[in-house]
Amino acid sequence: MSVKWTPQGLLIYATMAAFLLAVILLRTERKALGRGFWFSGFVFATAAVVFRGIHTGHPPMQNLFEFFLCMAAFLWPLAQLSRYQTGSDTDFQDALLGLLILVPAGFVFDEEPRMLPPALQSPLFIPHVGSYVAAYIILARSAFMAIPLFRCAGPLTEDHPRFRELSRADAVSRQTAAMGFVLMTVGLFLGSIWGKICWGHYWQWDPKEMWSLATWFMYAAYFHLRLRNGLRNPLLLAILLWIGFLFVVLTLTWINVSRLFSGMHTYA
Amino acid sequence: MKRLLNRFLSLSVAAWLCILLSFGSIALACLGATRAGEWMSRLPNLIGIAVLTLGIAITSVRALFRRRFDSALFHGGCVLIMGGWLVGQVALRVASPENPANGLMAMIDGEMSDQLFQGARLEKLVGRVPFTVKLEKFTVERYPARDPQHEAPVREYSSRVTIQERNKPARVENIRVNHPAIVQGFYIYQMSWGQTQDRWGNPVNYTVLQFKRDPGLLSVYSGFGLLFVGAFWFAARCFRLKRGGVACL
Repeated sequence: MSVKWTPQGLLIYATMAAFLLAVILLRTERKALGRGFWFSGFVFATAAVVFRGIHTGHPPMQNLFEFFLCMAAFLWPLAQLSRYQTGSDTDFQDALLGLLILVPAGFVFDEEPRMLPPALQSPLFIPHVGSYVAAYIILARSAFMAIPLFRCAGPLTEDHPRFRELSRADAVSRQTAAMGFVLMTVGLFLGSIWGKICWGHYWQWDPKEMWSLATWFMYAAYFHLRLRNGLRNPLLLAILLWIGFLFVVLTLTWINVSRLFSGMHTYA
Repeated sequence: MKRLLNRFLSLSVAAWLCILLSFGSIALACLGATRAGEWMSRLPNLIGIAVLTLGIAITSVRALFRRRFDSALFHGGCVLIMGGWLVGQVALRVASPENPANGLMAMIDGEMSDQLFQGARLEKLVGRVPFTVKLEKFTVERYPARDPQHEAPVREYSSRVTIQERNKPARVENIRVNHPAIVQGFYIYQMSWGQTQDRWGNPVNYTVLQFKRDPGLLSVYSGFGLLFVGAFWFAARCFRLKRGGVACL
C-alpha cells in the first residue's frame, strides 16, 4: 500500500475525492452539488486515463492499474444511459462503485509504465481489452443495482408493498447485465480471433480464459432462470448476479496475481 | 418424444447446466492450461461435448420454430463453435506423418526444412508439410535501453522466410508475432526464439516457427458471429420490452 505523489496519482486522488464528496452529498438535501462532484469526478477520471495514455505511449489497458483507471471513467456515462433508459437515479451507487474501484489503482497497483511486448502489439488490443473493461464495470454495476432484490424473499407480485421499487431494481439490473453479457461475448469473440492470430489457437484452456468462461456461464444461467421464473424468485436472481460479480472480481485480482493460475495472460 | 424434449431441454435444466459448466470451468482453470486441454481432448469428454452440442442444436431448431430468433441464433452459434472445436480435435486425432496437423520447426539463418517436430527439445518428428520453408533472416528489435545495466525489452522479432510450394513460384513471407503466414491450410506462427552456436562455435539466434492446421476454424468463427448477433438481439429485447418504465419478459 503506497501513496502516489505523481501527476498520475494526484489525478486519481482528485477523482476519488470528487466521488467521495458526491457519495456524501447525494445522501443529503444538496443533491445538485453532489451531482456536480459526480460529474467533476468523471472529468478527473477521464483526464487520468488520457494522461496515462500519453505518458506510456500506448492505450492504457495493458495492466490492472490501467484497467481499473478505465473502469472508473466508464461509470458516469453508464449512469446517464441508465437514467435515460429507465428513469432510475443510480448516481449514488455508481459514485460509490467508482470510489471502490479506484482504491486499488490509487494505493495498491504499481504505476510504473512498461513497454508493450510483441504479443500485445495488435489492432485487436483495444477492442478485446476495452470490451472486457466495459463488460466488467457494467456487470459490477448490475450487481449493485440488484441489492434491493435481496430484501424480497418470496415471489414479487403486483400487490407487494414495494413492487414498483423492486421491479425497477430487477429491470435496471437485468438490462445492465444484458449489456455486460453482450460485451463479454464480444470480448470472447475478439479474444478467440486474437488468440488464433497470436498464439496459434482460438482457445488455449488458459486459467484466465476459463474464469472468463465461468463468468459467462453464470450470467447465461441468470438469463435462463429469469426467463423461466420471471419474478417468482428475485432473491435467487440477485444471488446469481452477485456470484457473477464475485467471479469478475476474482478474475481481475486473484487470477491475475496467483501462481496457481499462471498462464498465457500474464501481461497484467 | 415432445414431452421428453420439453423435460430435458427446458429453461431450468439449461440454467442449472450453465451453473454446472461454470463451476466445471473453474475446476479446469485450477488444472492449468496444458492439463485442462489434455483432459478435455479425451474421448469420453469429446463424446460428452458432442451430446451437449446435439442438445443445443435441437434447442436452436425449436427456438426457430417458436420464432425466438435471438435464441435460435445464440444457440446455433454455440453449436457451430462446439462443432468446429470437435472437428479440430478429430483432425488432431487422425493426423499422420504425411498429413500432420500441429508441429514446430526450429531454424537458423539459411536453413531449409519441411519437417515438423514436437517435445521439449523438439526431439520427436511428427511429419512433413507439403512445402519447404527456408529461413532467410531472423531479426530481433529492442526498445531503446533505459538502464545500461539491463538488456532493453524486446519490441519485435520476425523471421523472413521463403516458402516453396510444389509447382508454384517461391514466395517470401515476413512472419512475426500477430502476423502469421497461411500456406495450404497451415497457419505458420512466430512462436519463440533463442541463442545457440553454429558449427564454428559462434553465437547465433535461432527461430521457432509453429505450424497449425484446423479444418474446424471457419465453423468456430461463424459460430462466434451468430453468438454475438443472438446476444445483441436478446439484449435489445431486454431494453425494448418495457411497460410504464418497468421491464417485463
